Amino acid sequence: MSVLSLISGASIPVQLVMAILLLASLFSWYYIFLKVFTLRRAEKQTAEFERQFWSGADLTDLFQRAVNARDSAGSLERIFESGFREFTKHRREPGTDVGALMDSTRRAMRATYQREMDKLESSLSFLASVGSVSPYVGLLGTVWGIMNSFRGLANVGQATLSHVAPGIAEALIATAIGLFAAIPAVVAYNRFAGDVNRLAIRFDSFTEEFSNILQRQVH
Amino acid sequence: MAAAAIHSRDEALAGGLALAMHVLFLVLLVFGVSWQHKQADTAVIVDLWRDLPSVTPPRVEPPPPPPEVKPEPPKPVPKVEAKPPPKPEPAPVVKPDIALKEKQDRERKLKEQQEAAEKKKLAAEKAREAELEKKKRAEAEALKQKQAAEAEAKRVAAEQQKARDALAAQQAAAQAKVVDEYKRQISAKIRRFIVLPPNVSDAAQVEFEITVLPGGEVLGAKLRRAANSTPAYDAAVERAILRAQPLPLPPDPALMRQFRELNLVFRPKD
Repeated sequence: MSVLSLISGASIPVQLVMAILLLASLFSWYYIFLKVFTLRRAEKQTAEFERQFWSGADLTDLFQRAVNARDSAGSLERIFESGFREFTKHRREPGTDVGALMDSTRRAMRATYQREMDKLESSLSFLASVGSVSPYVGLLGTVWGIMNSFRGLANVGQATLSHVAPGIAEALIATAIGLFAAIPAVVAYNRFAGDVNRLAIRFDSFTEEFSNILQRQVH
Repeated sequence: MAAAAIHSRDEALAGGLALAMHVLFLVLLVFGVSWQHKQADTAVIVDLWRDLPSVTPPRVEPPPPPPEVKPEPPKPVPKVEAKPPPKPEPAPVVKPDIALKEKQDRERKLKEQQEAAEKKKLAAEKAREAELEKKKRAEAEALKQKQAAEAEAKRVAAEQQKARDALAAQQAAAQAKVVDEYKRQISAKIRRFIVLPPNVSDAAQVEFEITVLPGGEVLGAKLRRAANSTPAYDAAVERAILRAQPLPLPPDPALMRQFRELNLVFRPKD
């Protein structure tokens, strides 16, 4: 009795459940790999930009570079760019209050920050729902299969284990596939959520520190 | 490098890796998991009994059937065809000048012929009679042989029946022996668990009717008769019966019928 024969021998609803779960698993792995790449790159870019920023480079230089390489710029670079752009724009206007200037700068950075966070967090919710729902879907398939196998048992005069066992094995395959889809999704979700959180903290603290630097420039 | 290009490259890579992952898992599942394991040798606990009578009685070979006596079919007696008498020869054309001589001659010849025909006819009759006689005798012989064979067959059947009866009796005896042996073992096992209470007279005797399940479990023990017994001894025996589970039972399920309800008598002196 091989796994393939178990799958092909299952009833149609169970097979449907298996197909859904397989699709969910495929997509969740796709997103897992995609997220691994994007998060790793974001981390690298953030570290690179932090290194450049704190090495004492000229802010205008940094800004220029960020504008030029806008396509390949990291999230932190974009936050910096939007904040600096807002700051320089407001500063040129005569008679601006320092408080208002800093407020608008921070708002601009905040907006970019949120946009970037949204990009980083995208499809994490998919992983979360695969992780939480697919065990239930698999369980549904299993329950359905076991229901069927017991109903078939009612027609048999003498019930032996060999009458029930194949049906239950077929049904259990659905739960196995469900867990197979769910476990990596949950692990990946937790891992990615942690990574995104750490990046968010880095962005936040950078925003604050950068605001301080800008405020000092005004005086 | 443009962000869009990087992104699409990432997507393709991620899709390929996801597919590869699933193919790998499928291969592992199909070829790596053997679903039916061979039963590993596990330790078993056995009860050892020194003198267990064999359940199967010694085989008694039934006497081989005697070679069948086949009555030989009577040989066909060659038939002797009774030949019809030869036809008288056509009278030759006589010439008138030697008519007399010829006539006399002819008459003589005719007479001779007639005589010969008569003789032949007689012989044929005789042969026919003899043949009939022979046939009759052969039939009688066959009948006799047949009867003899039947009688022989009857005798053989009776002998076989006798042998079978003897075999059955032997088997029954062996079974009875097995049953007795196991009853003895059961009561010995129960007796081992009896904790004799003090102040029990040796004359005490108690009979229990025990209902036994096929696994050797005791379904119930009913006090049947307690002759000059003390309730303490009855209770001790009942406790012992319950503690002696599972009772030793013969492996042959056919004998289980005789162990369904057991009447066992216990005395403190046994």
